Amino acid sequence: MDFAGAYSADNLKFLLDGLYVTLIVAFTAIILSFLLGCIIGVVRYAKVPVLSQISFVFVELIRNLPLLLIIFFMRFALPEVGIKLGLMTAAIAALTIFEGAMISEIVRGGLTSVDKGQIEAGRSSGLTGVQTLWHIVLPQGLRRMVPPLVSQFISLLKDTSLAVIISLAELMHNAGIIIGHGYNYTIPTLLLVALIYFTVNYLLSVLSKRLETKNA
Amino acid sequence: MKKSWKLLSVMMVVALFILAGCGNNGNNAGGSNAAAGEGGLAAIKERGKLQVGVKFDTKLFGLKDPSSGQVEGFDIDISKAIAKHILGDENAIELKEVTSKTRIPMLNNGEIDMVVATMTITEERKKEVDFSDVYFQAGQSLLVKKGSPVKGLADITKDSTVLGSKGSTSVKNIKEKVPGVTVLEFDNYQDAFTALKTGKGDALTTDDSILYGMAAQDPNYEVVGEPFTDEPYGIAVQKGNSEVVKAINDTLAELKSSGEYDKIYEKWIGKAPAK
Repeated sequence: MDFAGAYSADNLKFLLDGLYVTLIVAFTAIILSFLLGCIIGVVRYAKVPVLSQISFVFVELIRNLPLLLIIFFMRFALPEVGIKLGLMTAAIAALTIFEGAMISEIVRGGLTSVDKGQIEAGRSSGLTGVQTLWHIVLPQGLRRMVPPLVSQFISLLKDTSLAVIISLAELMHNAGIIIGHGYNYTIPTLLLVALIYFTVNYLLSVLSKRLETKNA
Repeated sequence: MKKSWKLLSVMMVVALFILAGCGNNGNNAGGSNAAAGEGGLAAIKERGKLQVGVKFDTKLFGLKDPSSGQVEGFDIDISKAIAKHILGDENAIELKEVTSKTRIPMLNNGEIDMVVATMTITEERKKEVDFSDVYFQAGQSLLVKKGSPVKGLADITKDSTVLGSKGSTSVKNIKEKVPGVTVLEFDNYQDAFTALKTGKGDALTTDDSILYGMAAQDPNYEVVGEPFTDEPYGIAVQKGNSEVVKAINDTLAELKSSGEYDKIYEKWIGKAPAK
């Protein structure tokens, strides 16, 4: 094991470059998948005709496939039908679709958990269905969704490492190149990468705890 | 419940048909592109740049340097020579990262003109791509501590202990070549190399291209003897791209006759190629 060699200034900078890509991909996908998840979740909760059925098939199809397959599909199958995506776009698209399907179930669950009496109260005080959803059900449901949503976002951040399969220059990919320079760099490099993933994800969950207590 | 099952299966079948339909159209379009010479010599010249798929994480062959961002190695020097032959400029080249899993899809997608990435020529792969002549003759060999009595396969007897990687063909090969030899198998090459350093075995065996990489990391170790298996590395191009194969083979022949090949070989491997 060669800690000094593995942790040279150049190697550390190289790992930070990888972390930067990881964070960009993760945060873009978190925002997009949350939006997608909310839309699908609400559509299915409100049982919007046709859209609700399409969403059902989409969610069942996507969440029962491995993410690795979806990433590979975006990178190598889409160009076959004329859609060419960059490496980063392919990774973000795959993560958005996959995590969006997961999140839609969290959203639907959160909304369903709101007591029926709340809806009846909203409707009988003269609000329309949409108004009831927006002012009464969503605020209460969202609060309950925070813990499972954060778990899902943490999963998403870790799942970005699967994009190593398409050679996206994220954290794990750059770690692999450093390890390529010397077998005795393997353990020091992987330890550091583990620490980086842990720190980022732990910060994310601390942040969510704050959010929960503030909203409670 | 029953209704939703029915609905799900109907929609899945519809989705599959739509996907299959798209796939067919796409394949046809892709096929005609390839026939028009997507990765052909004319296309490369028109582009003015050779797009080559190389490894970014393999010591001696294709390895990215974190400080300079440059990719360096035997495969890269060979690629530059090909760019010089086709375009007259060794820097008219774009290196794209490939792995063992992505190199054939990327080649057939037309993203790269050729794969120069420690790719062994096999009958199986010949069904999918066309190969150039052998550009690097790899084979299984032995790594020992300098000054070891082991000078080659002949010095390995049934009393020797050989280190290898779990479940690899190299372990199977050494057991066939030296019946009764003790083989200690490790999860990865790093563990096997550590075991060799701590004296747990007489030699470490795997492909010499990997062993040379280990020797480059620790000068107290060396690769001994001739390779005793045949792992010919070839440069892969899209099937039917005979012009490009010819250009590559011409380059390799020039490199060999001018002595440039031996220079590149020595620069990375540390010794002259076996004749």
